[in-house]
Amino acid sequence: MPAPDVPVLENARQGRQLATDIVRFTRRSARRYQRSRISWGTRFVDAYSWGLGIAVSLTIAASFVLALRNEIALRASSAGSIIQEQWLVLPEPVLWTSVTFAVLLVISNLARKLGPMTVNGAEATWWLTLPVDRRPMVLPTFLRKLAITTAGAAVFYLPFSLVTAVGRAPVEHVPAALTFGAGAALAVVLAAVQQLGLLESRLGKAITTAILLGCSLLTALWPSPLPTAVAIAAAVGLVALVVPRVGMVRGDELVRGGAVAGHAGASLFMMDTNEVLRALGGSQKRLDGGKAARFYARPAHGPLTALIRADVVAFLRLNPPILPPVLWIAACIAILLVDGGLPEFAQLAVIMIAGCATSSGMGTVSRKTALVPELDALLPIHPALVRGSRTLMPCAAMALWMTLLSGLLVLLGAANPALMGVGALAGVGMGAGTLRAATRTAPDWSAPPVETPFGPVPRAQLGSLMRGLDVTILAMVPLMVALYLGYVPWSVVAVQAVFSAGIFLVVVLTRPKRG
Amino acid sequence: MGTVLEAEGLLVGYAGAPVCGEVSASVEAGEVLGIVGVNGAGKSTVARTIAGRQASLAGDVKVHGLLIDPDAVPCRRQVSAVFDDDLFFPSLTVREHLLLIARGHSLDDPESRVEEELEFFGLMGRSHAIPDALSSGQRRRLLLAAGLIRPSSLLILDEPEQRLDPQMRVALGARIAEHAKSGGAVLLVTHDPQLLLATASSCLVIDEEVQEFDPGQGASIIAGS
Repeated sequence: MPAPDVPVLENARQGRQLATDIVRFTRRSARRYQRSRISWGTRFVDAYSWGLGIAVSLTIAASFVLALRNEIALRASSAGSIIQEQWLVLPEPVLWTSVTFAVLLVISNLARKLGPMTVNGAEATWWLTLPVDRRPMVLPTFLRKLAITTAGAAVFYLPFSLVTAVGRAPVEHVPAALTFGAGAALAVVLAAVQQLGLLESRLGKAITTAILLGCSLLTALWPSPLPTAVAIAAAVGLVALVVPRVGMVRGDELVRGGAVAGHAGASLFMMDTNEVLRALGGSQKRLDGGKAARFYARPAHGPLTALIRADVVAFLRLNPPILPPVLWIAACIAILLVDGGLPEFAQLAVIMIAGCATSSGMGTVSRKTALVPELDALLPIHPALVRGSRTLMPCAAMALWMTLLSGLLVLLGAANPALMGVGALAGVGMGAGTLRAATRTAPDWSAPPVETPFGPVPRAQLGSLMRGLDVTILAMVPLMVALYLGYVPWSVVAVQAVFSAGIFLVVVLTRPKRG
Repeated sequence: MGTVLEAEGLLVGYAGAPVCGEVSASVEAGEVLGIVGVNGAGKSTVARTIAGRQASLAGDVKVHGLLIDPDAVPCRRQVSAVFDDDLFFPSLTVREHLLLIARGHSLDDPESRVEEELEFFGLMGRSHAIPDALSSGQRRRLLLAAGLIRPSSLLILDEPEQRLDPQMRVALGARIAEHAKSGGAVLLVTHDPQLLLATASSCLVIDEEVQEFDPGQGASIIAGS
């Protein structure tokens, strides 16, 4: 490109050195500014509070893990289960390998959503426009994320290994944890490979899945230094492949990753789960603007019908998740079929967690419309009817999901077929919970805690964090009772109907809080 | 002199839907192409697409005969674009922001170039302030200073007059004209008839059909007469 007055750097090394200087200059200036604002006293107090908090959390976690490990070690293999017909016995190692694999897939998926190579807004504006190699601008953050993920994964796997592999010698847990850490590193680096476009999207996903499956097998089944060395070598090899190319990631990809990571990070800091879901779902799927167009075009009889139709179409066009609900059902069944069986309370807890996670995925429309309260006032309808219309599809979807889950539980002999009806009814209440959760306001951390006989409790903050989840759990309680009893008395059906109807009415008739 | 910017059959928009008619234009070195139109006509979308910040729906944009690619170092060296991105490093001062750009573009004696820009944009008194301590007009001046401190053969400005006082608008017009006089090409999106008349050598009116006018007619269109 001819431009006589535009300076041109002689070689790539010069460009890289200049970029390094730019990054160093920016960071040094930022550090100097931060130091000038924070006194040593404040820094000491911060370090003390963080250290104390981490130490207390680690102590509680360690005692919990050891207690759980003893409980599992002492548990007889004939421990009670909520199912009677164990037509398939799933060996315990298969279950824990699957869990390990699922966690590695989640890490890979999250890494891809959050970059993994990113720049923040200011860096995009002031760094990416410079005519220099971008590697020094991107690499340090990427390596930091990689190191934190690897170390965090290894540390978190240790208690998991202690609890799930009670037969192992204490020293055998360390290589397993290191292998899992290397697996997590591979998940992040493979996400970087996809971001770089080195592999075609589908092929990249297939290769990632295969490698992570291998890692989870090595982690869970073969706790010795050899597989650890293999996993670490693979991770180091891939890092060596990616590092020289990090400057080649497209600018828009860096900015996208940075925006998602920034949004998700800020939302996590504020403990605003709706915002976290919005951040992670923002760049997830392309909106299908053509879906159900014919259904929408049909003439509507009155504003309520028009609104219901709009809500149904919006729900369908936002592509409600299909795979996660199916996987959650599979996870529930796997937990029930595992050799030796988990304690009943653990089985019920897994079903409850699956229900909460699935219903949370159905609230996309409510979460989006909650951002623009004016939308609810567009049509001349009572606000309760608007809220009722908005919960219709989540209620239907959750009723369907719960019917499927209950049906499978009936097949496994958990209760009589009436459980499916109870499940469907519970789904209605759980679906209504999505609207309540969508209008959850961010916790007000300035509100003082309430004094109780057990000490101060941050009631306002807990209330805000649990909003939505509270009614979802409540809607599942009668179903859980039926599962615990092993049959469905009519009283449980009646209570479930009352609970679901009550929750639906409370959600629809309660004016949402606005932050 | 030679052609700096060529846009051929360029269609811009979002999610596959064009926001305005097809744009075809070329800007020679030393020329200023004004882009005008009513609010929502698609002026900024055209400018963003030409700068390579947004993918086009159809057509090509070439700078010095090469397809625009903001990820390519030569392109970043040649094209300077100032949009309304109010994004700054929160702990870097005004001077440090400009120094970053001056060093990143390997300018000779970057400190004195920064002083000159601070002087020109009236930011000398605020040179040690962080962006949060600046007014919106001062932040706009800082963005413009960052776009003009560095050398470029194509300067893209999206409504640079926004949030500037009349005196600064006049000075900016002179600066844009000077850039063109020294051999640079400029793409100027503006709502200001005076700025357009003071700088532009030709003018595109963005609408359902994109038409080229002389700057006088363009200024009349902006003024609504």
